[in-house]
Amino acid sequence: MTNGKLIQVKNLKKYYNKGAIKALDDVSIDIFKGDVMVVIGPSGSGKSTFLRSLNLMEEPTDGEIIFHNIDITKKKFINKQNKVEKVDINLHRQKMGMVFQHFNLFPHKTILENMILAPVKVLKMPKAEAVSKALALLERVGLGDRASAYPIQLSGGQKQRVAIVRALMMEPEVMLFDEPTSALDPEMVGEVLSVMKELAQEGMTMVVVTHEMGFAREVGNRMVFMDEGKLLEQGTPEELFDNPQNPRLQDFLSKVL
Amino acid sequence: MCIGKETAMNNFITAEGFEKTFRYIKLIEQGIFTTIMLALFTVVIGFVLGILLAIMRMTDIRPFRFLAYGKNGRIRNSRILVAVSKFNPIAFLATAYVEILRSTPVLVQIMIIYHGVFGKLIELPSFTMFGFLKSNRFIPGVVALGMNSGAYLCEIIRSGIQSIDGGQTEAARSLGMTKVQTLTNIILPQAIKNILPAIANEFVVIIKESSITYTIGVQDLMFAVTAVQGANYIVMEPLLVATAVYFCLCFPTSKLVAYFERRMSRGDKR
Repeated sequence: MTNGKLIQVKNLKKYYNKGAIKALDDVSIDIFKGDVMVVIGPSGSGKSTFLRSLNLMEEPTDGEIIFHNIDITKKKFINKQNKVEKVDINLHRQKMGMVFQHFNLFPHKTILENMILAPVKVLKMPKAEAVSKALALLERVGLGDRASAYPIQLSGGQKQRVAIVRALMMEPEVMLFDEPTSALDPEMVGEVLSVMKELAQEGMTMVVVTHEMGFAREVGNRMVFMDEGKLLEQGTPEELFDNPQNPRLQDFLSKVL
Repeated sequence: MCIGKETAMNNFITAEGFEKTFRYIKLIEQGIFTTIMLALFTVVIGFVLGILLAIMRMTDIRPFRFLAYGKNGRIRNSRILVAVSKFNPIAFLATAYVEILRSTPVLVQIMIIYHGVFGKLIELPSFTMFGFLKSNRFIPGVVALGMNSGAYLCEIIRSGIQSIDGGQTEAARSLGMTKVQTLTNIILPQAIKNILPAIANEFVVIIKESSITYTIGVQDLMFAVTAVQGANYIVMEPLLVATAVYFCLCFPTSKLVAYFERRMSRGDKR
């Protein structure tokens, strides 16, 4: 990576109704290796759209997302041999783990099957290897005894911990969290945040859309504030919390803190 | 008159009638075999056609999409142009097919296929299958039934696929799985589980509805019944035998699907 830049976002735009609604309005930012970037903002500010654009869950209207020196928003790129090659988005998604607000575990598969499905089908990992890897990860998040359970038998916090390790099975270079604790009962938020904190301490690059300001301050090393599709302010969490410049950020913080 | 009525009642159902019916056991056996073959072929054709139609109905191909937007890139005020821009020819064809097939009697469809399509347009090779089954009657029967059940199965499959939460697709795709891998590993297993009762119902309907092909001379169970009736001047006994046979085919089928339904719903239990 050039200068440790993992993902470069350049002039990203997402319009609905041909520009009548601007979900993302010219967002540019670099995400460095090892960053724990927290994205905050009021609802409807475009922070989820921004996160979901990074692995093209949402297709941007315009702009560039450069990952591994390739603009993944385009259909084709020119490879090192100067030949035109197709951009294989599935290949890039393997390296970007994603955790959703509503967990999205596969209800017809056990926890273990949930975890080994993609490594076996996509990475062609031998099944025995995938199983031992999955069991080790489950052990780490305190769910070693639930491997044969079905998702519906788990609590919300347990489901989200499974969703995190399911994404980790693919050994991603960056993890994208889309409001991972918003659908949880309050007493379960802590268990999920502590798994995320552990992950950050191990040096995983993370982009986290969240309303957990305590987590943002404690774990994040960078923070961005978005409103109405625009990236209005960025800096360290201390800078944004203690000395907000933009009036809308000041207003937002006065409401949530 | 009173005596005449008594005689009629006595002759209504008799052991002799059953005895006469079972003299034609070979014909009835062939009828049962034909009914099962009709149902199996119909299910296969119907399922393939149903999946194809369901996919066609769920495509998002709108060749006139550009008409909706004016020069400034905003949506036009003209309602007609906006309506035309939403036109999807592939989905329209599939929808038209489904609606026409579901809104006309299967008897009419069979007649059109047999007398019209295979009678005038397409020449069918005439041969005998399994030693007794005439291909030039069996094939039109199967095609007509398959086309009909395809329309119903399309709607069942489509509703099943659309009932799966979009988050499932997103989760699978975010793990790097392709569209096809997502469909086969994540969407279809859940969709099929949801639509299994409706499919079981459709299978049972197909077995029962196959009886209508006797009108174009397919030698199914109903064909055997009418043959026995005509040869012996008996009415009820062959019909009762047919009733028993149809029940023995349909009831276990729905029970079998119910068993698979229970097995597949393991993930739902706490």
